[in-house]
Amino acid sequence: MGKYLLRRILQMIPVVLGTTLLVYALVFALPGDPVKAMFGDKPINEAVAAQIRAEYNLDKPFIVQYLLFLKNALSLDFGQTFAGQPVIDEIARAFPVTIRLAVMAFCFEAIFGVVFGVISGLKKGKWYDSVILIVSLLLISVPTFVTGFVGQYVFGVKLRWLPVTAGSNPGFFDLLMPAMVLGSVSMAYIIRLARSEVSSNVSLDYVRTARAKGMTNSSVTFRHILRNSLIPVITYLGQDLGALMGGAMITEQIFNIHGIGFLTYQSILKGEANMVVSIVTLLTLVFVVCNLLVDMLYAALDPRIRYA
Amino acid sequence: MEELDKVTQATANTNAASQSEGAQSSEEAMRAVQLEHGPLLEVKDLQVDFTGEGGKPVHAVRDSSFTVFPGQWVAIVGESGSGKSTSAMATLGLLPGTGHVVGGSIKFEGKEISGYKPKDFVALRGAKMGLVPQDPMSNLNPVWRIGTQVKEALKANNMDVSHEKRSKLSKALADADVTVNNEGDETFIGSQELPALLEAAEKALIEIGIEGEKLSRRMAQFKRDWVAGSETRWRVADALIKSGVKDDDAWYIAKKYVTGSSLEDRIAGLLDEAGLPDAATRARQFPHEFSGGMRQRALIAIGLACRPELLIADEPTSALDVTVQKKILDHLQMLTDSLGTAVLFITHDLGLAAERAQHIVVMYKGQVVESGPSLEVLQHPQHPYTKRLVAAAPSLASQRIISVKSRGEDASSIMEHQVNAEKLEKSETIIEVDHLCKQFKLPRKKELFKAVDDVSFKLKRGTTLAIVGESGSGKSTVANMCLKLLDPTSGKVTYEGTDISSLKGKDLLDFRRHVQPVFQNPYGSLDPMYSIYRSIEEPLRIHHIGDKKSRHARVAELLDLVKLPSAVMQRYPNELSGGQRQRIAIARAMALNPDVIVCDEAVSALDVLVQDQVLELLNDLQAERGLSYLFITHDLAVVRQIADDVVVMQHGKLVEHGTTDDVFNNPQQQYTRNLLDAIPGGKLELGLDL
Amino acid sequence: MSAVDRLQPIETLPGQERYVAPLDETPLREVDSIDESAPATSMWADAWRTLRKNPLFIVSAILIVFIVFVALFPSVFTKENPNYCSLENSLAGSSANHPFGFDLQGCDVYARVVYGTRTSISVGILTTIIVVFVGALIGAIAGFCGGWVDGVLSRLVDIFMAIPMLLGAIVVLQMFRSSSSIWKVVLVLALFGWVSVARIARGAVLSSKNLEFNTASTALGSTPMRNLFRHIIPNSLAPVIVIATTSLGSYIVAEATLSFLGIGLPTTTVSWGGDISKAQSILRTDPMVLFYPSVALAITVLAFIMLGDAVKDALDPKSRTE
Repeated sequence: MGKYLLRRILQMIPVVLGTTLLVYALVFALPGDPVKAMFGDKPINEAVAAQIRAEYNLDKPFIVQYLLFLKNALSLDFGQTFAGQPVIDEIARAFPVTIRLAVMAFCFEAIFGVVFGVISGLKKGKWYDSVILIVSLLLISVPTFVTGFVGQYVFGVKLRWLPVTAGSNPGFFDLLMPAMVLGSVSMAYIIRLARSEVSSNVSLDYVRTARAKGMTNSSVTFRHILRNSLIPVITYLGQDLGALMGGAMITEQIFNIHGIGFLTYQSILKGEANMVVSIVTLLTLVFVVCNLLVDMLYAALDPRIRYA
Repeated sequence: MEELDKVTQATANTNAASQSEGAQSSEEAMRAVQLEHGPLLEVKDLQVDFTGEGGKPVHAVRDSSFTVFPGQWVAIVGESGSGKSTSAMATLGLLPGTGHVVGGSIKFEGKEISGYKPKDFVALRGAKMGLVPQDPMSNLNPVWRIGTQVKEALKANNMDVSHEKRSKLSKALADADVTVNNEGDETFIGSQELPALLEAAEKALIEIGIEGEKLSRRMAQFKRDWVAGSETRWRVADALIKSGVKDDDAWYIAKKYVTGSSLEDRIAGLLDEAGLPDAATRARQFPHEFSGGMRQRALIAIGLACRPELLIADEPTSALDVTVQKKILDHLQMLTDSLGTAVLFITHDLGLAAERAQHIVVMYKGQVVESGPSLEVLQHPQHPYTKRLVAAAPSLASQRIISVKSRGEDASSIMEHQVNAEKLEKSETIIEVDHLCKQFKLPRKKELFKAVDDVSFKLKRGTTLAIVGESGSGKSTVANMCLKLLDPTSGKVTYEGTDISSLKGKDLLDFRRHVQPVFQNPYGSLDPMYSIYRSIEEPLRIHHIGDKKSRHARVAELLDLVKLPSAVMQRYPNELSGGQRQRIAIARAMALNPDVIVCDEAVSALDVLVQDQVLELLNDLQAERGLSYLFITHDLAVVRQIADDVVVMQHGKLVEHGTTDDVFNNPQQQYTRNLLDAIPGGKLELGLDL
Repeated sequence: MSAVDRLQPIETLPGQERYVAPLDETPLREVDSIDESAPATSMWADAWRTLRKNPLFIVSAILIVFIVFVALFPSVFTKENPNYCSLENSLAGSSANHPFGFDLQGCDVYARVVYGTRTSISVGILTTIIVVFVGALIGAIAGFCGGWVDGVLSRLVDIFMAIPMLLGAIVVLQMFRSSSSIWKVVLVLALFGWVSVARIARGAVLSSKNLEFNTASTALGSTPMRNLFRHIIPNSLAPVIVIATTSLGSYIVAEATLSFLGIGLPTTTVSWGGDISKAQSILRTDPMVLFYPSVALAITVLAFIMLGDAVKDALDPKSRTE
């Protein structure tokens, strides 16, 4: 187990380095002048531009720039925004909101996805299986922003059950609808995954052997069918936790939630390249760490991996 | 229920008695009990349907009847798709998919169970009927420990509660003067009390004057027999009394120290009974840490955990090596005999069925075509299908040859292939394998694994050399090196005097033209995307032989050679059976008119009749075209039918090398003898009225 | 008890008497005979037959044919110019010539929905083509070569996997704000989309590489390269086709999302995502303006996802959704 973990962590390092390098290269090194992009449509003030270039080491060779960025990033120094705020402060303000949103979305998709998927898989061909299947197909097909608007219109404007937008310091109820919207597509995927896993596990040999032992239907279902079906579902969920943070951009935009996604989008519009790189780097890190956690969980759940 | 317990116990007793009084009387006693009790399982005119495409019923089993008596082994024999497994699963209420019983009756202990609801079956399974399934690799849940999976069986039938309760109760009663009779004794030795028990036993033995050599022998015997969680109080007392300890003392010791086991002890005891060494540690391991044979033992432990009246063994050893198969079946037979469990034994191997079961049921296309006492059915098969099956069964054929020889008669009439020794001596060598070694690097291990270790032999032109060995013996690695699909670590393979390791480019292509393979897996060796025509044409294309028209003619000719209609050309592998695919593979190998064909387990995956057909085809081709075969197999029985020379391999080393007659008649090595012994049906005196 | 002892002929028990079935009940068939009446089917023909009967496929195929037709010939469906907008018509309701009414700028919503089809379909199809080509190639190389090549390519895949597609696309698109054509969006989506295809293709090649028919072909004299093109690639196509069909829908969603955020497509291009974005400010008062392009988008994506499901069922019978 320890060895396996160590190997996974070692494998993680090149991925983190590669990803940050890639993001850094995309923002700072591609043709197209990031400094020019910062000015947007305004005329360029050469003096300010030169100052910015110096500040971000843009006058140095690319690889030196990247290494300097890494060095600073390690001490959580991501530089400053145009307004003079430290980037890390802005991120620290926005991060908890997004985490709250992502965790709520995660719980929503995990609970409903697994429950509906398992019911569907066990009772294949029944009418509610068809209903669950069609709804999940619809959720996958409708883009998040459309789901968001539909939710806003139906639950916020027409029924007035939930607030239409969340604002800067949202509570549980403010985030309820955004979380459901954010988690809806993943929930649909989880339903489909759980359904196909469960329905293919039902006819496995060891399940038959378990029945032959005289075990009741419910204990066979829980101990053999579900226990094994949920391993890939949990893997998917873990990877999704990282993806939810990145995917929050649209949801935060629609519901006016001042989280990381909102911040990213605003920074992109304003051309705050520094902020964008910092956030993407952080999100990548979150994603990679989540994957590592999933791997560990996977190893804990499936003994074949543990000893591999 | 009560009555049944008595019967079981009586059977066990008669079995125990049989050891001293001789087998014949035990058979009679058993028969009396069986007659008195009546059939355990009675299947009459059973019909099972599956719902096929478009809702049409597919008849899997039609009007089949068979009967199992308590304590009896009954075998159902048939090829794949004959409905043998389906019949057994119908009994357990575990028909797969759309299968359902549409007619007939299944009576278990006199009660009709064919109309049982799933809930009723739950009560029956485990406690009354156990299952030992076919494939040990897929029948254990990979995420649970072996011990846990045994525990589930006990828990499902409330055996866990009764154990703990009984254990508590008997601890309380240990000092009280209560007579415990042997009936239904379920008080097992606990691992905690075991040392004290042994100590007390030793003291008792010394008291009655046993000492020295004899004492240590007795004690060693006790240590071996008294396994925690498996041996009961009654058996302990019995063992002590038999050693000369006075009844009262023996019972005192047994009652004091055998006070019931914990659930963990019982699990380990069950695994130990199934023949798993070091069971307590093994119980904490996961299935993937077990070999196939060990998994099958664990499955046997699970099947017998709740002491069912009937054990359904569905091809329990078909995935295992022959020597392992023999060990496991011997053990299972010993165990079921001592527990008085009846076994419904499903197998495709006639020899195995005949050797293990008293009563045999032959199924064909969903129907019972013949049934009766095994030896009688085997000696005088009457239904043409049974006759065909008996004639084709390689294990029986081998035995026939051996028994004819041992009677000093000429066996050549029944041997399908014969090259006399003189000719063998004279003919020239076509492939020579010289001190061949192959080492592999195993993942995360430092030392290299020697798959093939110093193997040498010669294949003579126009003859067949068989390489026999169990899985992991390195026989396939040798085959692959002879085909130059792998390069040897050291040593060399020469074909017609040239070292094949140096072959490149055109020379290599030329070598490939002369040495062709036929592989084991008829489902894997043909590209599913290629039509049969394209598959057979492929070698012609690679070697740029002929034009489109002549190739077409050649393919038709080759199909004719393997006795397939030329209409097969447009078909795809997924439409053909295993045997047909294997014949296509042979046709493909023959396309270039090779000198040598390397058959790597080419008939292992096939049903007996189909296997026989393919072997016959190979034989004919050899006679017609003077082909040489390198025949890789795990099945000694097949070797007897086809080979002139035999090489026996074990753990990468060559164990024995000689002519087929020599190896079969005078095996020099113990390993070869074990292999020969393990041929199912080996101990049978067979009539030869075929 | 030895095996021989067990077989001493003893009297049979009731119900276990010797029984031989009459021959006419189960006539013997020839060993291993071929049913020549059934039509010959290749794997593809078989898949096509399954597909043809799948209602999911029928519905999605009809939808897709229709959608592609709309994308190719929008003028058949509307005479209006989607870019002709007049503030006089702002938010005017539906009428005979303008079934969906007008948006805030006074453009014909129906015409814009019709013309938006072309954008979505071209981005979806072009991205899929590039992604399949690049992804399958890289995946196949990694799977076929193995060793260090596989190691390097797999890490590269890991790196791209770690960046969320949408986030990466936004960052890159922001750098190229000046150039304006749908190719920009296509290329950026492909840049972050090829990894999923590469992973699938690698796995497929790895598993078909180890199949016995490759060894058989080698023994027949075939070279590794010939094996790759004649056996391994044809046998790895099925999963790649499945992922391609399913992904097509997700690229359409991604394009719409980018347009919704106002990044990527030039403002003059008619696109559903852009129209939805513009309509969000009037959601409370005129939800229908937002509704029409949303429905068009959802139906298009649904059609491709259903097609993906149907294709998956046909090509991989193990993972039937029904």
